[in-house]
Amino acid sequence: MKAFGELTKGIIKENPIFVMALGLCPTLAVSTSVNNAIGMGAAATFVLIGSNIVISLIKNFIPSKVRIPAYIVIIASFVTVVDMVMEAYAASLHKSLGLFIPLIVVNCIILGRAEAFASKNSVGSSILDGIGMGIGFSLALIVIATIREIIGTGKFYGMQILPCSYQPAICAILPPGAFFTIGILMALFNKWVAKKS
Amino acid sequence: MNDVVKMGLVLLIITLIASCVLAVIYQKTAPIIAKNKQLEEEKARKSVLPEADHFQEITEQKIIGQDTVHTILYYKGLDKHNRLVGYTFRCEKYGYSSNVQTMVGIDTLFNIIAIKVISQQETPGLGANCATSEFAEKFQHKTPENIMVDKDGGDIESITGATITTRAVTNSIKEKFIDIKERLIEK
Repeated sequence: MKAFGELTKGIIKENPIFVMALGLCPTLAVSTSVNNAIGMGAAATFVLIGSNIVISLIKNFIPSKVRIPAYIVIIASFVTVVDMVMEAYAASLHKSLGLFIPLIVVNCIILGRAEAFASKNSVGSSILDGIGMGIGFSLALIVIATIREIIGTGKFYGMQILPCSYQPAICAILPPGAFFTIGILMALFNKWVAKKS
Repeated sequence: MNDVVKMGLVLLIITLIASCVLAVIYQKTAPIIAKNKQLEEEKARKSVLPEADHFQEITEQKIIGQDTVHTILYYKGLDKHNRLVGYTFRCEKYGYSSNVQTMVGIDTLFNIIAIKVISQQETPGLGANCATSEFAEKFQHKTPENIMVDKDGGDIESITGATITTRAVTNSIKEKFIDIKERLIEK
């Protein structure tokens, strides 16, 4: 039951975007289309799981005063490895995700989970935490991107879904649209969570 | 004092391991990545000059100081019987938020056969539409003289909300195209 809790807390109760407001920079940048959102979500989840495993394995060797530089080195190496391996062996996937992979280094969800969770918990629950947080981040990205893509281009996942006579509100896929969408969604999400409890 | 040494040592070990891992993986993947890029360029050349079977690199030698620098000017497209079917070249210009690279295929009479935007990071939904086939089709059968954005008096219809990107693609093609045409006519 505890394991299930570790897995699901990232999705609603501690959702990285809507509740903790972590990693907003990449969220603003890549939530312009559902395709991008899925790519960024998958890549970030993978790095999150990987860095959580490594950090929870070596947590006892790292003196607490230098833990942040140590975490950053581990995360950055992880991202670089993923970047290079993907470019060599999955070139077409890398072409569509390539832009987001270096962005993961600056995604503070990963550093945040390393500091708040992986450095204090066992490997097993760190993996579950990574998966849950990754799913929560991906779902939030997909929701934001769906709204922005439909309003901004009349498309969903690259397919036209609104009639061609619809004049797209281009503002929605530009940076202001990201702030509006995230702000409104965050307010609705918090209202819903408050009502439930 | 002891503490400082210990912290330094731990960081040293972590960074040492990290750099070793990265070095090994880089060495393993770098040649594959280079090969992938080459294959991709070859594929892009084929897509803009479908009649060609293989390509021949035409380079220019420039002497800068003491070094001789080879720059690739364009590629000759040859068919199975080694007959010339056209040329391809790559051009680039800074658009709205990125360098827009385009591959262009032309026939022996200097008409554009096809173009393909091979790399860009323009605004999604606006400038990024320059990579669509609808946009590429606008360049078909054009000669260097009549490539110009409609807002500058030409007949390339610009992408809605992305005149700057359209202009970057159009002008980069025009400049390189004129340059290559002149070189070929001189011969």
